[in-house]
Amino acid sequence: MARPVTVRRVQLRDFRNYERARLDLAAGVTVISGPNGAGKTNLLEAIYFGLTGRSCRTSNEREMVRHGGSVTRVALETEDEAGAHLLEAGFEPGETKRLRVDGALVEGLANSTARPLVSVFMPERLELVRGAPSARRAHLDQLVTALWPGRAPTRASYARALAQRNALLARVRAGIVAAELLDPWDAELARHGAQLMSDREQAVAAIAESFAARARELGLPQSAEVTYRRRSRATDGEGLRAELEARRATDLARGFSGHGPHRDDLALSHDGRPLRAFGSQGQQRVALLALLLAERDALAEIDRSPLMLLDDVMSELDSERRERLGALLGEGGQVVVTATDAERVPVSSLGALATELLA
Amino acid sequence: MFAPPIDRLITEFARLPGIGQRTAQRLAFYVLRLSPEQALPLAEAIREVKESVGLCEICFNLAVGPRCRICEDERRDADVICVVEEPSDVIPIERTHEWRGRYHVLGGALSPIDGIDPEDLHLEELARRVESGAVREVVVATNSTTTGEATALHIADLLRERAPQAAVTRLASGLPVGADLEYADEITLGKAFQGRRAL
Ligand SMILES: [Zn+2]
Repeated sequence: MARPVTVRRVQLRDFRNYERARLDLAAGVTVISGPNGAGKTNLLEAIYFGLTGRSCRTSNEREMVRHGGSVTRVALETEDEAGAHLLEAGFEPGETKRLRVDGALVEGLANSTARPLVSVFMPERLELVRGAPSARRAHLDQLVTALWPGRAPTRASYARALAQRNALLARVRAGIVAAELLDPWDAELARHGAQLMSDREQAVAAIAESFAARARELGLPQSAEVTYRRRSRATDGEGLRAELEARRATDLARGFSGHGPHRDDLALSHDGRPLRAFGSQGQQRVALLALLLAERDALAEIDRSPLMLLDDVMSELDSERRERLGALLGEGGQVVVTATDAERVPVSSLGALATELLA
Repeated sequence: MFAPPIDRLITEFARLPGIGQRTAQRLAFYVLRLSPEQALPLAEAIREVKESVGLCEICFNLAVGPRCRICEDERRDADVICVVEEPSDVIPIERTHEWRGRYHVLGGALSPIDGIDPEDLHLEELARRVESGAVREVVVATNSTTTGEATALHIADLLRERAPQAAVTRLASGLPVGADLEYADEITLGKAFQGRRAL
């Protein structure tokens, strides 16, 4: 059994409110406690930045640089079976990011084996439950890639074929070329599309049962369900190709491809109704947490448990659910959780390390 | 920034694939340090290659004179044609020694995004070659990228209509997904030729 990579230590410089900070992480659950505004969330963001080279909170990455500082740096010490690794991410506004693995410059950290997968719960991420389907599709495709790294090219190939087909629709509409030229692109789009739908079906199947169980444990009163909602009924590439051909006139009239897995959704429902539209904020929070925990369960099966970064997950749960969540978190995998009051995170009995903030 | 002739040389170097501004500058200064006897053969070689090397009138491979060496070689089977995207794709296939037929170089792949339509490739010439002669098999060896795959399907449709007597086959999927022919090794490519499938 391979052991997932763990993060042992985090060091930051000029990150958000921190001039310098160091944080040692437990192999299991680490609790970051401190009053509001102390910068607990900033530490989670720093860990995410160190693992991915991106922020999980903002697209304006300048915000990460401490006021008065010019370059922000995060260094993570990780450990796998082979030994220790060092991940370094540096960012200076206006310059290209400097990402290093064990001292060597790399273009991205996504494919590095020196880092664990990462799973984030933050208030901003509720958009995943209540926002547009595109974010959920992207999330589902990331799960596919996490479960089966070799399948990552399918999504990219589908996107390329889709862009080509849309460009061709425009050229046919403009009278530059004949509509028959769509034939090979329908077939090519359908080939990748059928594969993508099958990958997504399998990924949802891998988390469905666990999602329902976690949602129940964390307090959703009725049964919750995660399903892959797809437009196409096709079971193979030829079927999808025939559907595309049948819709060609509509697509030509509109000027874009209106059918296929790029219009699908990862549907989260409670008591048979979509949580996106009908869930309360509390229910949406539980659903997101249940989704992330179900994904962890599926990834644990292949020894790829992600590092979970959970911001203020306890605050809206009653004491019974907090106990339950604490127990779930202690069951395995590495977790960093923030709380305004460490007492309210019932994990101390599991040997977790509570870290008081020293800004 | 420099005297106009130097700037022009830098600009020309920077046009080459894989050469950035900084490397272009380094190359230009290297050339400036050379003696005329060392530097002029480079200019001469470029002039000669552009004046003497053109495209084969039959298959559009590179050729010195009207026809390429493969089209002029009587020992190569004329009834089987291998279709590739670029002249550079011929080289790795020749290296496998698996292919004793002729070639047809398309000059690219279909790509609506880049505005590359069938008329921009040597497809009509391919159809005419296949329908007029005694060609029994066309092996489509375009890259296994989305543009290469779509081009392969287009060729299959085109030849089914224009030259139904010819079998159209595709290289076996021994090539990694998204791979360019140019980067495939000889063994993989050789195997791909042995196990080709109908399109
Ligand atoms: Zn020739």
